Amino acid sequence: MFDVRTLLILIPALPLAACVITALLGPRVLRSQSHWPAIVAIFGSFVCSALLGLEIYHRQAEPTDGASARDTLGGVEVIPAPLWTWAAIEGAYPWTAPSNWHEGSSERDFRISVVLRADALTAMMLVMVTFVATLVAIYSAGYMHGDAGYWRFFTYVSLFVFSMTMLVSVSNFLLLYVFWEAVGVCSYLLIGFWYQKPEAAAAGKKAFLVNRVGDFGFALGLFLIWTTYGTLDFHDSLANGDTDPVRVAQAREELQTGKTPADPSQRLTPGVLGQTLLETQDAGGRQMRRDWETILTGGQGPDTRSYVGGGVGLAICLLLLVGACGKSAQFPLHVWLPDAMEGPTPVSALIHAATMVTAGVYMIARCIPLFDASPEAQAVVAAIGGLTALLAALIALTQYDLKRVLAYSTISQLGYMFLAMGTATATGVAAGMFHLFTHAFFKALLFLGAGSVMHAMGGVIDMRRFSGLRHIMPTTYATFLIGSLALAGMAPFSGFFSKDAVIAAVYDRTHDGAYAGLYSVLMYSALLTALLTAFYTFRAFFMTFHGPQQIPAEAGHHAHESPASMTGPLLTLAVLAAIIGGVLFVTGSFTHFLGHTPSLAYLSGIAGHESAGGHHADHTWIAVVSFFIALIGIGVAAFLYLGDQREVQAISKELQLRQSPRLRGVSPYQLSAHKFYFDEIYDFLIVRPMRLFAQGTYWIDRHLVDGLVNLVGRIPPALGSVMRSLQMGLVQFYALAMVLGALILLAVRLWAAGR
Amino acid sequence: MFSDTTTVWVLWPEIALAALAVWIYVGNALFRPKPNTQTRLGWTTFAAAAVAFAGFALYWHQGGAVWRQSLVLEGHGPLAIDYFAYAMRTVALLAGFLLVLQASRAGENELVSEYLGTLLLAIVGVMLTASANELIFLFLGLEMLSIPTYVLLFLGRRDGATAEATIKYFFLSVASSAMLLYGFGFLYGMAGSTSLTEIRAALETSSAADGGLMTMAPLALILVFAGLGFRIAAAPFHFYAPDVYQGATHANASLLSILPKIAGVVVFVRLVGVTMPALGDFAWQLAIVLSILTMTIGNVSALWQTNLRRLMAYSSIAHSGYMLIGLAVALAASPAEAATGGLSSVILYLFVYVFATLGAFAAFTYLGAKDREVNRIDELAGVAKTRPVAAAIIAVCMFSLSGIPPLAGFWGKLALFGNAIRLATNTESATLQWWFIVLAVVGVLNAAVAAAYYLRIVGVMYFRTADTALPSQGGWGAWSAAAAAAAMVLAVGVLPGRLFDNAQRAELAVKGIALPEGLSQADAPTSLAK
Repeated sequence: MFDVRTLLILIPALPLAACVITALLGPRVLRSQSHWPAIVAIFGSFVCSALLGLEIYHRQAEPTDGASARDTLGGVEVIPAPLWTWAAIEGAYPWTAPSNWHEGSSERDFRISVVLRADALTAMMLVMVTFVATLVAIYSAGYMHGDAGYWRFFTYVSLFVFSMTMLVSVSNFLLLYVFWEAVGVCSYLLIGFWYQKPEAAAAGKKAFLVNRVGDFGFALGLFLIWTTYGTLDFHDSLANGDTDPVRVAQAREELQTGKTPADPSQRLTPGVLGQTLLETQDAGGRQMRRDWETILTGGQGPDTRSYVGGGVGLAICLLLLVGACGKSAQFPLHVWLPDAMEGPTPVSALIHAATMVTAGVYMIARCIPLFDASPEAQAVVAAIGGLTALLAALIALTQYDLKRVLAYSTISQLGYMFLAMGTATATGVAAGMFHLFTHAFFKALLFLGAGSVMHAMGGVIDMRRFSGLRHIMPTTYATFLIGSLALAGMAPFSGFFSKDAVIAAVYDRTHDGAYAGLYSVLMYSALLTALLTAFYTFRAFFMTFHGPQQIPAEAGHHAHESPASMTGPLLTLAVLAAIIGGVLFVTGSFTHFLGHTPSLAYLSGIAGHESAGGHHADHTWIAVVSFFIALIGIGVAAFLYLGDQREVQAISKELQLRQSPRLRGVSPYQLSAHKFYFDEIYDFLIVRPMRLFAQGTYWIDRHLVDGLVNLVGRIPPALGSVMRSLQMGLVQFYALAMVLGALILLAVRLWAAGR
Repeated sequence: MFSDTTTVWVLWPEIALAALAVWIYVGNALFRPKPNTQTRLGWTTFAAAAVAFAGFALYWHQGGAVWRQSLVLEGHGPLAIDYFAYAMRTVALLAGFLLVLQASRAGENELVSEYLGTLLLAIVGVMLTASANELIFLFLGLEMLSIPTYVLLFLGRRDGATAEATIKYFFLSVASSAMLLYGFGFLYGMAGSTSLTEIRAALETSSAADGGLMTMAPLALILVFAGLGFRIAAAPFHFYAPDVYQGATHANASLLSILPKIAGVVVFVRLVGVTMPALGDFAWQLAIVLSILTMTIGNVSALWQTNLRRLMAYSSIAHSGYMLIGLAVALAASPAEAATGGLSSVILYLFVYVFATLGAFAAFTYLGAKDREVNRIDELAGVAKTRPVAAAIIAVCMFSLSGIPPLAGFWGKLALFGNAIRLATNTESATLQWWFIVLAVVGVLNAAVAAAYYLRIVGVMYFRTADTALPSQGGWGAWSAAAAAAAMVLAVGVLPGRLFDNAQRAELAVKGIALPEGLSQADAPTSLAK
């Protein structure tokens, strides 16, 4: 078998190499062949990811004993691949552990080690990211063909894949932040890829600025984690940065038995998400480990936690949430994602649908032990997720730009994932990640389909300007239909299973526990959102592919199906979008696999309920209800967009949806079409005051500060011009000046001495 | 005893260089081939080889390691045999080597041997000054520098402007020498000896006795300042510099801004910094006043200049002002303190100033031609496009002169200002604090003003387009001298540690303080001690 560490390092290294090669050779040597390094490297990354996933899967299955038991505590697999130490200052600051921790006050090192870690969660993200990226890279070779910035595009894409794979495999909050920013930069570069277009440049700027708000919260969250836990590492390590699992496990045992190693460099530094903190203590203070199997069978551990809850815990979680909201485009920071559609469509598919925007969800899933300690934070996450899902779905109802419909749908689906994370139960997190996984496939499929349409229509993406394309583009039509069915949550396509799992997980929180009422509301809101989703998805589908055939002038006379390099990825994704949810759900392997992630394995299960591990006893009614909801949504869309238009007009007029002003001059239709006026509100509340302030400070700088500086700046030349007049060129004067100078000095001396 | 063999042996790099200079004079007269570019090249190579040989003699044959010991060998009369002397002779040889290269195409073919021979003698003058530990020998060294300089100025170019500049320099130089000698006379009168070691001892004892001959000491100090102030172009003895530089060729202007500066600073360090700190408050106050005056006059006047050499003259004046900061620190620090850093920062600054200035002048020489020198700043417009390497060299030198990291000039200014601030913060005396804080603040303000005119040159080169192309016929010698100087500026900027170390070593040596552990690298000078 391959060495797992090598695989783990290769996964980001290959795209980085491709990025460097394309950047260096692209403009001169590779030119129109610039896609090869990217495709080969990203595919290589995917192969490595798949092998890594398989290896981890096999290790989970193996019985653990002896030395390897330390490595794989309770079937939980963490594979470290230490690379180098970025910063190390020994004894940098004094630090006192919270009272319920094992360690008292001590000196802590400031140490940032670059360590890659593979666990189930990372492996799942890696497989998803590299797989979608491979298909998108192949697709782009067709889509971007002939573009002036061909090599630039593949350089950025490779850089993005490198950053994203690093983001999910680093095991340190600071490095997470670094690559969080790196994917943000790639996103910025790719949104503004066609920077000659003012809209594209503006959209890139908007995405970057809105993300800064989120990153600010994230950074504050990191600071707070730092002061609370005294480290930024996810996992336990030794004080000298050693990550060897066997030695770390030894140190952990020593710590738990009350021994302190003589050598301070051998002391354990408990990682924020590491084993030491994850383990809980029972009433007698004995260490107790609750593994995944116990949770699956309904067992529940004691309640005492090693995590800091209360105000500090809540603050950490909310700050992290702000960061996640920025990156994953959740309310109120969702405004950048629709504009990001100005970038090339493959980028929308890869970065703004499948991978980067899910980084927020990944981050919350990764930090779920922190959220576990704070029910309030869970409620906030769930509320934000539910609200965003509903809001974005409402906006999506009335959009005419096909890509924007998909963008709002992405925001809405990300809302589902946040909702699932907000349950903070093992089932919920697993369901959220499951939805993330299936969503990546069908949303990438839909975006690539939209790109195929846009490609054929000569860059036109307004759905009012084309229709009835099913005959011209049969492959795109068929694959888009599958994607739409998956998104609408139609059984047996993959979206059905994952969305259902999310709603079921929320349902589990409605019975008892904190904020049960809120979760009830959110569950019904999620069901309503499912209805809206089915409607707007098929509205877009029918408007594009059905009805009378209509082609915009920009497409010319040769509107045709896209080339094989584009339809190939579409077909591949279509197959997966159709079956992957069902396969993983029926076998239950996804949840089982993911459950071996350390941070998830220690989550409390919901006692008395079978989880989403393959049994579905209690939740059948939810599945049935959501199936019919999807059916209704599709039916309404079919009636409105395929049925008799006179009927539709009549109903529309009767309901006075479009024209008549309601709600103080704003009809619901207008509200949705104008995206609830978020851009306008932000413009009024933030942009304008800031601009006013900027003008004020500009005036002060220009007139007050500059004036003073210029005044000061005039002094030396003025002095100089005085001096210049002395330089008259007469040697007699110079000699006299020398002698007089000496005499004056002497006179001063004598005067000073005589005084 | 003045002619014992050790003295000869110690001085033999200078003797050899002087002998080779004479051979250049004589040799050319003997062969007298038709003077052309080839003969020029031959004689330049010979002169460069002569300097290199002197360097070889100084370092390898005589054993550079010997000099690293801090000692003044008693019984060798006029000579100071210490690391400071060794370091300054090395700097003189390095600068001299580049000056020879720079002059490879300057001046007229017929006068090549006269020019080069005289240049070598000027270098010998600087080296003798660096080794002198005795007033007469010191004066001899200074005149050994001055007299060849008059000749060189004449040889550079023969037109009215040059003649006027040379005459000015000659008269004023003679006047300054007279003042210096007058000062020496007072020193001799007070101490009854011309040996610097004895003068120092005499000053210390009489200051302890308070009174007597000590009343004459400030007079001597002022006259010494007047005489040396002319050499380094410190106010109010600086007036000649702009006129003379403007009238000279680039090669001669660079010589004027380097060789007398080295000699002047060396004497300032040894005669004022080491021998006369016993003079009390007046000495450092004088240094501060002259420092502030000099750098301010230099910098603000430079702002107005359009002539390149005139600007460089004011730049040279301003840098003398900076170096006086270090001298003031050395004079103000209590004698109990072994290493104040004052002198070492002067030595460090001298080094970085010399090579940045030399690089700039050599590049100007390269860009011009024998009969068409680059005179106005505006003529440099667009050089970055036509001569990118030369422009980069000038830019590096200008950035270094304005003290921008990571170039050598930054470390020089850091050392000077840093030592002034350190002195002010470590002292109890409110007077000292006030004076040195003011000095440091004025110094930093001056450095900021200076950036304006240095960066103007860079701006003209890089952001303006050329009206007419420069001839760029200064020769490869000038080019390589400029490149070597710029490389030195860069290297010292990136790795300043060795220079700091050596400057500190030189300061300890010149004060006659035993080197602390870790600095001393060599064994006892067995060959010299015998």
